[in-house]
Order: sequence, then C-alpha cells, then structure tokens
Amino acid sequence: MSAPANGRSPASKTPPGRKTDLHEEEELGRAYDGRLLLRLWPFVRPYRRQIWITLLLFVPIFLLELAPAWVVKVGMDLVLAGEPTAGGWANAALAGVQQRLATPPPGIPVAIWLAGLYFSVSVSLGLLSWVHQVIMATTGQYAMFDLRRTVFAHIQQLPMSFFDTMPVGRLVTRSTNDVENLGEMFSQGLVALVTDVIKMLGFAVVLFLVSPKLTLYTFAIVPVMAFAAFVFRWKVREAYRAVRVKIARINTQIQETVTGMKVVQLFSREDRNLADFDRMNADHRDAWHQSIRYDSLLFSTIEVATGVTMAVIIGVGTGIAEAGILYVFIDYMQRFFMPLRDLSAKYSVMQSAMASTERIFQLLDTVPSVRDRVAVVPATEPAAAGTVEFDHVWFRYGPSSDGEAEAAGDTNADASGGAAAPADEGDWILRDVSFRVAPGEKVAFVGATGAGKTTIIKLLTRLYDVDRGCVRVDGVDVRDFPQQALRKRVATVLQDVFLFSGTLARNIALGRHDLDELAIQRAARAVEAHDFIERLPGGYATEVRERGSNFSTGQRQILSFARALAHGAPVLVLDEATSAIDPTTEAAIQRGIRVLMEGKTAIAIAHRLSTIRDVDRIFVLVGGRIVESGSHDALLAADGVYARLYRLQAEREEEGALAARPA
Amino acid sequence: MSEAVSAAGIASGRGIDSPVRHALRRLSVYLRRNARYYLVWFFVVLLYVASFNLLPLAVGWAIDGLVEGVPRAEVFRRCWILFGIAVCGGVLRFYSRQLVFDAAREVEYEIRNDLFAHLQKLPQSFFFRWRTGDLMSRCVNDLNSVRMLLGPGLLSVAQSPILFVGAFLAMSTLSLKLAILMMLPYPAFILISRVLGSRLYARSLAAQQSLSSMSNFVQENVAGIAVVKAYSMERDQADRFEEANEALRERSLELVRTSAAMPAVTGLLPAVGLALALWVGFGEIQAGRMGTGALFSFTIFARQLTFPTFIMGYAISLMQRGASAMQRIDEILSVLPSIRDEAGSVAPDEIAGRIEFRGLTFRYDDASRAPALDAIDLVVPAGTTVGIVGPVGAGKSTLASVIPRLFEVDDGQLFIDGIDINRIQLACLRRAIAMVPQDSFLFSMPLRDNIAYGLPADVPFERIETAARRAQLARDIEDLPHGYETLVGERGIMLSGGQRQRTALARALALEPSILILDDTLSAVDADTEQRIQAELDRLFAGRTVVVVASRVNSVRKLDQIVVLDGGRIVERGSHAELIAQGGVYARLAEEQAAEETRAERERRLVREGLGRAVGEGA
Repeated sequence: MSAPANGRSPASKTPPGRKTDLHEEEELGRAYDGRLLLRLWPFVRPYRRQIWITLLLFVPIFLLELAPAWVVKVGMDLVLAGEPTAGGWANAALAGVQQRLATPPPGIPVAIWLAGLYFSVSVSLGLLSWVHQVIMATTGQYAMFDLRRTVFAHIQQLPMSFFDTMPVGRLVTRSTNDVENLGEMFSQGLVALVTDVIKMLGFAVVLFLVSPKLTLYTFAIVPVMAFAAFVFRWKVREAYRAVRVKIARINTQIQETVTGMKVVQLFSREDRNLADFDRMNADHRDAWHQSIRYDSLLFSTIEVATGVTMAVIIGVGTGIAEAGILYVFIDYMQRFFMPLRDLSAKYSVMQSAMASTERIFQLLDTVPSVRDRVAVVPATEPAAAGTVEFDHVWFRYGPSSDGEAEAAGDTNADASGGAAAPADEGDWILRDVSFRVAPGEKVAFVGATGAGKTTIIKLLTRLYDVDRGCVRVDGVDVRDFPQQALRKRVATVLQDVFLFSGTLARNIALGRHDLDELAIQRAARAVEAHDFIERLPGGYATEVRERGSNFSTGQRQILSFARALAHGAPVLVLDEATSAIDPTTEAAIQRGIRVLMEGKTAIAIAHRLSTIRDVDRIFVLVGGRIVESGSHDALLAADGVYARLYRLQAEREEEGALAARPA
Repeated sequence: MSEAVSAAGIASGRGIDSPVRHALRRLSVYLRRNARYYLVWFFVVLLYVASFNLLPLAVGWAIDGLVEGVPRAEVFRRCWILFGIAVCGGVLRFYSRQLVFDAAREVEYEIRNDLFAHLQKLPQSFFFRWRTGDLMSRCVNDLNSVRMLLGPGLLSVAQSPILFVGAFLAMSTLSLKLAILMMLPYPAFILISRVLGSRLYARSLAAQQSLSSMSNFVQENVAGIAVVKAYSMERDQADRFEEANEALRERSLELVRTSAAMPAVTGLLPAVGLALALWVGFGEIQAGRMGTGALFSFTIFARQLTFPTFIMGYAISLMQRGASAMQRIDEILSVLPSIRDEAGSVAPDEIAGRIEFRGLTFRYDDASRAPALDAIDLVVPAGTTVGIVGPVGAGKSTLASVIPRLFEVDDGQLFIDGIDINRIQLACLRRAIAMVPQDSFLFSMPLRDNIAYGLPADVPFERIETAARRAQLARDIEDLPHGYETLVGERGIMLSGGQRQRTALARALALEPSILILDDTLSAVDADTEQRIQAELDRLFAGRTVVVVASRVNSVRKLDQIVVLDGGRIVERGSHAELIAQGGVYARLAEEQAAEETRAERERRLVREGLGRAVGEGA
C-alpha cells in the first residue's frame, strides 16, 4: 500500500463515462446512516466469510507495513554501532527480534541478507495487499450482483400504475448507477475508511512507543495536514460538481445543434449560437481553473508536509535518537499520512453511496398493489373456459388503486368508507360495469376517448385491480389466478406496438421458448407477415433496431398479431390502432384481425367500421357506463346512441365520397 | 478563429502528410497560441526538478550532521534549509501542475469552440454521412483524451526525463556506482506500468460497455413493461437480465484484479531500489566511500521516483490515445465547408424571389446511385406559387432543399433573381428564404425563442405573437402552463405533432421572407386547421414566392403551377385542372388518394367524431 498512486492516478479522478442524473446529483446523504447500513446487511450476509478474511488479512498487512523500516534500521545500527541498538521502550521489547534480523544464516553476507529480507517483505506486502483488495472488491461485486437482481425483479413485479408516474430513466439509474455507487462503498468507502482509521491509530501507537517525545513534536503537524487535506478535497469536489453540470450543458448544446443543424443553418443562427456556446465553454473552463487550483494546492500541501515532517523529525530527533530510529520515524510518518490524503475523498464516496442506498430502498419499499394471492393455478369449470365476465366493476386511477385499497380489503372496499372512498364521484373511470362474454363470442366496445374502453382491457389482464366488483375469466376471479397464468389465458394486442431489440423471431415468441421456428412461421403466415419477413435480408433473424424504427407502423401491427396468434390464448383482447396506414396494409390488417379472432373469445376496442359490424355484440360506453349493448341490427332498431352514430356516419360517408371526387 | 487553424495553418506542410502528423501539426498551432503558459511552465519545471532532487540530498546532509556529531545548532540550520527546500518544492509543484493543467483547459476550450463553429459551417451532406453519436463521441470523448494528453500526459512526459536526469546527477554525487544501479530497473518499470495501464484502460472500457448494455436492457424492459406483463415475459426478461448482470460482474472483476495490481506493482519499485541501496550501500558505508546520510538520501530518492515512474507508463498510453483522438478531431476540422461564401459573392439588397432551375442535376454522395434530381428545368416567377408532388423518394424534399443551398449545387444550374445561387452570400440568401423542413425540429428553449429563432435577439414580442397567430398556434399557446415561456424540445414538454409543425411554421413566418418553402409541413395538422392556415398564407403571401412540397394532391391543387416528380425527373407540369385533364401520374395519384380517403382514414375519423357528436346529442 506504499504507492502514492493510491487514489491519485488521473484515471480515478474521472470515472469513465459515469452517468449521473444532474438533478439527483445535488442531493447527498449523510455519510453514515445506521438504519440504512442495517438494511444492507442481508445483501452482505452471504459473504460474511470473505469479510472475516479481509478483516483478518489486515493484521499481517499491518505487520508487514511495519517491518521494512525495521530492517533498514537494524542495518543502520549495524553499520553505525556494530549491533542493533535499543532506543525506546519498544526497542527493548523488540530486542530479540532485532537480534534475529541482525544475524544472517551462515554463509550469507549481512548486507545481502538484509537486502533480501527487505525485498521479500515488500513483495509479500504487495501481494497480500493485492489479495486483500481483490477479495474485498470481489465481495462487493457479488453483493452488487445480488442487489441488482433484487432491484430488477422488484421493478418487474410493480404494477402498471407505478410506471405511469415513474420516468424510465430513474428506474434505469436505480438498477445500474445507484448500485454502482453503492458498490464503491465496498471497494473504497466504508471498509477502507475503517481500516484506514485503524491503520493510522496503529502507526500512531507504534510511533509513540518508539519515541514519545518525537511523536508529540511531529504530530503537531497532523491537525494542520488533516485540515488542509480535508478543505482542499472538499473544494475540489465542489468545483468538480460545478464542472459536471456545465459540461453536461455543453454536450447537450452540441448534441442539439448537430441534430437541428438544418434549422440552425436555414435561420442563419450560427453566429449567435457560437456566442452562446463560447460563453458556456468559457464558464466550463473557468470552473476547471478553480478546480485545478485546489487540486494543485492539495497536491503540493502533501508534498510540503512530507518534506517538512522530515525536517522536524531530524531537528527534534537530534540528541534524543540515532539515525536508525529516525529512519523508522520518517517511514512510519509517511505511511501515517497516506490515508489522510484520501480521507475526504472516501467520505464523499460514502455520502453518495448512502444517497444511492436510500433511493434503492425507497424503490424496494414500494409495495406492489397487484400481487399474486395464490401460487397455484385454480381449477376452472371446463364449461366456463373462455368466458369473460365483469361483475359490477368500479374503477378509478390514482391512490385507490395502490396499496391502501388493498389494505382496506380487496374485494369489498366500500365506496363510502375506507381508503377507496372517492373524493368526488367524477373520478371513476368505470361505473358499475357488468357484462358477460360467452366462449367464442366476439364483442366490441365503442365510445369516445376517455369513456373507459382501454381501462376494461387493463382490468381484464389485471394490470390494475378493480376498486369494487369483480372480473372473472373462465369463471374465476382474476385475482385468484397467479398473474402469469392469467395472462397465458388472455392474449393482448395493444395499440402502440412495442418491439424489443433482438430478432424478429424473438419478438414474435416473446419469451416462449417452447415455440419453435415452425410455430413462429405458422403464426406469421396466418397474418400475412411471413412474406415481408422473408423479403428482409435477415429473414426471421433480422435485428429490430431502436424499438422497431426499421419497420413501418403497419408492419409493426401485423407483427403484433403474429405475436398474439403464436401465444394461442383462448381469450383475445384487441386495442385497434387509430393511426393512418396505406390502403394495401390496411386490408392486410383487416384480414389479420379476422384470422386472429377465429375460434376465440374476442374483446375489441374497435375503431374500424368493418370490425364493429363483424362482431356478435357491441357495447357502447359513455362516461364509464355501458349505455347500450346488442348486435349491430338490434342496436339500430333500438334507435339509441349507436343508431345516431351510424346515421351520422352514413351522411358523412356520402359527403366524403363527393369530396373525394377530383374536381 | 477556426479559420486561422484550419486549412491554411496546417496545409502549409510540404508533401503528403500522415494523418497523425497532420493532426499533431494542428495541435501544435494551439500549443503555440498558448506559448506563454508553456514557457513559464518550463522554467517552473526546471526549478521544481532542482528542489525535488535537492530534498533527498538535504535530508542526507542533515542526517550526516546528526551522525557525525556536529554542533546541534548546525544540525538545526541544516534542518531549516531542508524545511525551506520542502516549502519551495511545494510552491513550485503547485505552479507546475496548475500551469500545465490550466493550459490544457485553455486548449480544450479553443478546440471545442473551433469544433462547434466548424460543425455549424458544414453542409447537410456532411450530417448525412456522419451519425450524431459519432460526432458527439469526437466532441466529448476524443476532446477529453486530447486534454489528457496535454494535461497529465504532457506534464509527466516532459517532466519525468528531466526529473530522472536530475535525480541521477544528484545521486551520483553520493555514489556513482549506486546511482547507476538504482537507475537500472526504471525502464523495466515504465514498460510494466504501460502494459498494466493499457490493460486497465481496455478493461475499464469493457466494464463500461457492460454497464451501458445493461442500462439499455433495463431501459427497454421498463419502456415495454406493458408487453412484458401482457405476455408474461417476466421470467424470460429476468433470465436475460441475469446474463447481462453476470457479464457486468465478470467484467468488473477483471477490472478490479488489474486495478488492484497497480499499487502492488508500484510498491515493488522502491522495494527493488531500497534493497539495492541496502545491499550495495552498506558495503560502501563500511568501506567509508559513502556516509550514512547518503543511505537516507537513496531511500528517499527511491521512494520519490516511484510515482513519476508509475505515471510515466500511464502518460505514454495517454499520449498515444490523445494522438489518435486528435486525429479523429482533425478529421472533422479538415473537412472543408463545401457551402460557403466565395470571394466574388454578392449581397443583393433585396431578393424578389424568382427561382430558376437550369438542367439541375444533383446526386447524393454515392456516385454509383441514380441522381436524386435529374435535369430539372423549372422557372418560378417571383410572387407565384408552385407545388411539388410525387411518390415517396421522388426527390421532392431534395428539390426544396437546394433552394436555400442546404446541398451543394453545381454552378450554372440554380438561379435566384437571375443570380447564380453559389454567388449569393449565404446569410443574405437564407435571410430571404424561410423553409419549414419536414421534421419540425424544435430546440430546448421557451416557445417564444423557438418562434423567434431566426430573428435578432431584441425583436419586439408582437412580432412573435403575430407569427404564432398566423400559424394558428396562438390559441394552443394560451392553453400551455407557461404560455410563450413554456419550455419545449427534448427537455421541455411534449407538443403534439400538429403543434410542433405549426410552431415550425410560425418560426418561418416570423422571418417574413421573400420565398417560403413548405416541405410537407402540415401532415399532422387536422383538416380544419390546415384550411385556416392555407387561407392565412394565401393572404400573407400574395406577391411572394411559395414552394409547397406535398404528398397529398389536396394541398397543392390551388397553386399557380404544379410539377410532378418521379425518380428525380419532372414527369408532368401544369395547373391542377390541366393535370387532371391530362390523365397522367397526377390524375392517378389524385384518384388513389381520394379512394384512400374514403376508406380507412375517414372510417376511423367518423367513428371517433360521429360517436362524440352522437353522445353529445344523446346526453
């Protein structure tokens, strides 16, 4: 550990590419929080043994650090006095050891013996320190591995309502950078801090034992050193933070200018841009000048201290100690100062680690409101297979769908009491919705935006839990299914198709490893995706780029049909897309939907007239209530909302046909 | 500023240059510009080296005094001298670091400014070839490496040799034999630390990549969480995460093993030096050829030289990395802006807006591909309107983009008011033309600044308001939380596609240009609003030149002339009525689009709107 490079190497000053959220950067935790540390224990516990080993290793390391100076001392004593001298109290105790050191095995000159001894002690020290570091860091890495797994698993089981409000970036930070920060606590922070303090105490004690008077004199400089090191480190850190904010701004500016260069040039904004940029750039440079000043001050203070200490030791030591002891003193003092340099750096590592720990546990403390009540798939009535039933369902977004409602009682939370009580009646998205879809039946929901159509899908797949009432699939309350089992029964086709990076085949199979290539192709063929996939240079192995930017909207939709078909769930939920697509693809999509619905219980949120006309029953949703239901003909005959809608459409269609004719 | 450093300054070298040489020559221009820093620095370094090497000698001298039993006062005097040297050394150390690091930041600042200024001068064709990520990496990472070269790299590489020579000279005053022996292992250590240094770099890069690929995975998982849940992909995703997690752990462990070896290896160096000092030194002292103090001196030399040695190997890697980084930066700075003002450029007082294409042929970069525009002949008289339609990839946008000189056009092919476009001063040309590009890019600034983007900084607010009103944006702005001060763009609120397009339109209208170019601008604006905008434009731009690129026939039918592009050629031209009567491409397009309109698009709209109205009546 004698390397002055410790923590000073330029590489360690700017951790390569560490991304930190600028806004979160500002908040710092206390360097020590017992409650938080205690919570970390379960992650450290499996590695108790390694921690014991590192603690035990510390003893021989400390002894090895003491040894080299004594070897030199003995040598000097031999040269100057012909035998090892006993100066202080410690020397008397060590007299035996010194004598051993001074007598080489027969046949070996004393100079070579001592040199060899010195060398092997130093090498052992280096090796042992390395082993110590590696074990410590490895333990940290394994604990981080476990922590990341826990965080990710937790994120995955959080309910959809959680993701509505949480920015994606923040969750990414939790599972990556925050854990990294915490990991630094293992390798540089807490453990190093503790061992450093013990080590410094140890050196102080040994120094005192060797020569109390010399120790008292030389230690006068310690508080000054400690203070200077701390202040400068602190200043460096502060200046560095300012720099980080500024460089982030600069890089955003470059990025934005490059992206919008066409506009920049079209509007001849170059000169003003450059002036703005110059200002930012100069700001950044000046912030660095500040940081450099403190950094250099710190560096030179340490250098001055080293030299000054030697002067003091020799000056004070004149007359009270001989050269050998002075050598020991100089050596130990330097080792004593070593940890002091990094003390405040380690303190800041601890601070950010604590802040990260707190954020991580905040996330882990979020209780998933949608939880599996049962682990086993419940027995279902074969007769009820493929039925979907909403039984007086009430639902609204917001706090009631989170943990509190769950605590208040799952199924029968009263609207007028408990946490689920609505602040005002207008909050409800679904009001007393009841319907039953028979196996193989196809129904469509129509309604204006905000009428609650999409919510029905979300409740059916249990992305949210109902506030009151009950949703049943196959005759069983959806809350009595393990979530995964439920979603195997219900295939969902969502409006905005999300493609994952990876191959097309993977995007169709979506985690179903039992689907072989043939099954995937069969599904693709059925929805007419096969042809365009085959035309791609990579076929089914084509990589999806950036969320599917290499596929058109229509292709993405058809891919999502293939997905749903491949999964073969008996119940299909379809949220039809509203966006415009060219006529050819449009026709393909219509055929795809028909294929998809075949032989299944299907619930569609329909925007296309053809889909609506095709279904067995239509539900009209207005303000969260089902106001009408029945077949197309029946609804027309009833002359209600749907009938009015239909007549309006017919009128418009005529107008449209006229307007479309080229003038 | 960048002009001084680009082309002229560097190309002066004779003959063909290797890219690295070229890059380093450019770097030297920046160094020369900051010569005052470096000159002072060099003097400080010389003084520092002197004090650095005097210190161990002074220690030995003081110890000798102590051992030889000179009067205490004399020992104290020597200690005070030692004290003084230590303080001087510290002060010099401060300046030697500060000066070179400050200079590095100064150069970084200048290069960054020049890069930014240079990028702004480069044509669109450049930004087609270079991906944003690549440019960013050069502006951020490579610039960083160059700064490291100039800071710690230069500090060590320039200082260390002087340091070593000084140390050798100082040590040889004590014992030449021992001095030579002590110096022997250092080259080996420089090599070792270099090997370790580059391995450390490679491994930290690998760990970094693992971390970012894991970040990407989590990002995707969270973004697609609805699908993950709907298809019960949790377990599969967890398995994949496990893989990424394991990879990260393994890469990190590899990194840890190397980085932990660094201090161990560096600790070895003084060990070798001191072992040598002990072995040889004892003999020398016993033989009376050397004093006890000298042994002290040697031990301090051994210790003091450790860090410079260690850093030396690292610094060499820094220099190499910095040189290749500078080369990558130089690659950008060496691209000559192909669209720029020439000596004979003119700046007409006013541009009336007559556009004339004379057999204009244009091809993107790749010469093997068919030209994007092929022998275009077209006259747009000042104050008239022209519509450009055609299938996707016909060259419509390209045709619109050459008018404000976004792309390079050969001489004699494109004229504005009868002047060759390459001879009109860029600023003058672009002030007269306002174009609304296809992608309505907005900057991360308040809405008002986005609208006023092309205007001087002190423009009255009314002008911004007027532009917003004309683009049918004013009412939307009133609904926003902070009105005109609302931050938009990447870091601001999300505007709808239509709102973005109308903001881009307002930005162009605010310029009150002679020529307005709309490149398929209103695709996301609903039909009613589009009509209102059309009416506004008809009124405003009566007497000005308007070029409208559209994929829908409806958007161009009223314009003075319409050209139909296909495969980069003009295949039809005339008014709407003429073209329909002609029964060619245009007529077919019109029919197709009408049919399409009756089908899907309208069906969906009807369901949506019809229902809304029906419900409204019913409730």
